[in-house]
Amino acid sequence: MPESVFGILALFSSGEELLKAVPKVKEKGFHSLEAYTPYPVHGVDEAIGAGKSKLGILVFIMGTIGAISAFVFQWWTSAIDYPLRIGGKPYNSWEAWVPVMFEVTVLFATFTAGLGMMFIFNRLPFFGSPVLKSKAIVHTTRDKFALMIQPTKGVLDLEAARAALMEAGGYDIEILPAPDRSLPGVGWWIKILVGITAACVVAGVATSWAIKIFPTIKPMSEMENQAKLDAQEADSFFANGRGMQLPPAGTVPRGYMPILAKSPEQGGKDLFNPLPVTKRVLERGRKMFDIHCAVCHDMLGTGKPWLDKYYKAQPANLQSSTLRDAPDGYIYWVISNGKGTMPSYAADISQNDRWCIVHYVRALQRSQHAREEDLK
Amino acid sequence: MNDASRNSGHKFLWILTALGAVGVIATYFVAGPHRFWANWLIWFVFVAMVALGSLFVVALQHVTGAVWSVPLRRAPERVAALTPWLIPLAFVALFSMPVVFSWTQPGASSVKALVEKSAWLNYPFFIIRLVICLLVWVISYRLLVGKSIRQDKTRDPKITVFLRRFSPLFMVLLALTITSFSFDWVSSIEAAWYSDIFGVYLFAGAALSGLAASSLAGIYLMRRDRLPHVTEDHLYNLGGLLFGFTIFWGYIAFSQYLLQWYANMPEEVFWYKQRTVGGMLIVFIILGIGHYFVPFLALMTEDAKKKWKRLRWVSVWLLFMEIVDLYWMIFPLLGKNMTLGWPELAFALFFICGGVLVAGRAMAKGEDTPVGDPFIEAGLEFHL
Repeated sequence: MPESVFGILALFSSGEELLKAVPKVKEKGFHSLEAYTPYPVHGVDEAIGAGKSKLGILVFIMGTIGAISAFVFQWWTSAIDYPLRIGGKPYNSWEAWVPVMFEVTVLFATFTAGLGMMFIFNRLPFFGSPVLKSKAIVHTTRDKFALMIQPTKGVLDLEAARAALMEAGGYDIEILPAPDRSLPGVGWWIKILVGITAACVVAGVATSWAIKIFPTIKPMSEMENQAKLDAQEADSFFANGRGMQLPPAGTVPRGYMPILAKSPEQGGKDLFNPLPVTKRVLERGRKMFDIHCAVCHDMLGTGKPWLDKYYKAQPANLQSSTLRDAPDGYIYWVISNGKGTMPSYAADISQNDRWCIVHYVRALQRSQHAREEDLK
Repeated sequence: MNDASRNSGHKFLWILTALGAVGVIATYFVAGPHRFWANWLIWFVFVAMVALGSLFVVALQHVTGAVWSVPLRRAPERVAALTPWLIPLAFVALFSMPVVFSWTQPGASSVKALVEKSAWLNYPFFIIRLVICLLVWVISYRLLVGKSIRQDKTRDPKITVFLRRFSPLFMVLLALTITSFSFDWVSSIEAAWYSDIFGVYLFAGAALSGLAASSLAGIYLMRRDRLPHVTEDHLYNLGGLLFGFTIFWGYIAFSQYLLQWYANMPEEVFWYKQRTVGGMLIVFIILGIGHYFVPFLALMTEDAKKKWKRLRWVSVWLLFMEIVDLYWMIFPLLGKNMTLGWPELAFALFFICGGVLVAGRAMAKGEDTPVGDPFIEAGLEFHL
């Protein structure tokens, strides 16, 4: 009846005796060995031939998958599927994705390490290992060291194994029956589910109760409460009770040339692009256009018609004949003040950058509507 | 190796050091003082990092009460013999101040950031800080290493008690001095720059260099059968620390970069801007891959930490990368292009051969194993 045997087990009084017994047992032809000790015994892994765990390779592969998937996910969401202007950075700013990649790598790696150890390599769940029910368990968790011979390919000559263990100095020999590897019944799982649900309910009720009774404690709130005024905050220092003040009448902040034109058409007449068309200007214009404008107007300036569904307004097609014929000042005025649903970008894009964008829009228009002399 | 070949190897090192010294002096007169000082600062800071890193490794063992490292402790202790040599190196480096440091230049008084920092960055206070740093380091070296060597003869367990009590204090002093040192000698070259984390960044590099140099020294002793009881298990722990500090360096280096990149403030980001254009961009990329990913992947397997051959390669590589790191931080003062020629080779020759000579001389001092340490037997019995 070899299938019904888990192994045959003998006790030893010390780690050294156990280590000495291993080669003797191996000599007799038993190679499927397992040891149970109250604390780690150096050299026992190598002696019984436990081999190197393959868990590390698995963890490495899963960690790498974690890093790559986090990268692809962020790249897809923030550069391809739904580009967003964030802090004036280009959409595919890999720098911002690194912290998330790091976290996901750690998450995948640790979950693989923990769950892989339990479920793949140790073949859990396994209810009631025969060793737990043996008489030796009392000793191997306290002061004795156990060596077990297990069947090789399902075959184990019990008498020979017993003799080999006796000869090697083992005592209290015990035959362990094969375990029942079947999963517990439905009732057990229901109990577990009910237990988890009950614990969640209790934790939720306790938390809401605790929040109501105890005041919220904010450790290290210096960053939240700074000695400064936030935008739009009231303050009694000035007579008008506002924290933010308008510049004194008749003055202009440095670097902020006011636009006096009241309409884009007027702007087209009054404003002229001060920048020359150079490679540097066009490159700057492309960078700023791709960051701030392409979200709605698309990379070529044709506008994304499907945005109509969300904003009830369609981004202008910069390639249309109206805008191709509009003067530079018209486009500049619209960037600065907004038009229709489009807001003002004066706070986000400096005046020079706005003019760079205008030059770049001209280049875009020409790229799609080449004149005859461009072909020569 | 017999004595004759060892002596000839010794002589060969002396010749190379002398050759390097000629090149170093020639650099000043042929390639110009700027080139000379840029190189000198790299190597001065590098020697300081290796020496302090080794002292840190020694103190770390005392602070944590580690037993496994006792048989290997002579390796970092002997590399730390570089510490007293920082005094002449620093003395020479002082003459670089009027030449390369931006806060000593005539236009400094018109730069707002430099005026704000002038209470910290001025000649007297700068020199006082340097003297304090050197005093702290040399005295700590004398205590940490000198007492340990004395213990070989006296076998006095009280020395171990003293070292374990002194080491936490040394850690605090090291944190303060290395921060001040890194601000002064690396980031104040571009004094308008702000980065609070910079001291930690340099410390991460120092700990890594110290560990790498200690691993090399330990492997050197093991290869000559001078540490008969040190096993692969001991090396494994050293390799594990190297692995950990590689990740620490990467974490700190990227944190500094990410925050400054994100905030995009002119007073911070210009420093990175200067170092990511032209030839410096290539150095920047090499640094990111070579200082983090290469050692990270190389040290991941068990064998890389246990087998001396692989550990030696990783250690040499990490020390080389630390030089690249300093090159990337300091050399932009010569312009955005990669400057590399015979002066750099001469400096490398002089400082590497000289450093090996200094550490080699220390190799002969005291026992190879700290036989007087009460934990030596437990350390020799260490198994993973």
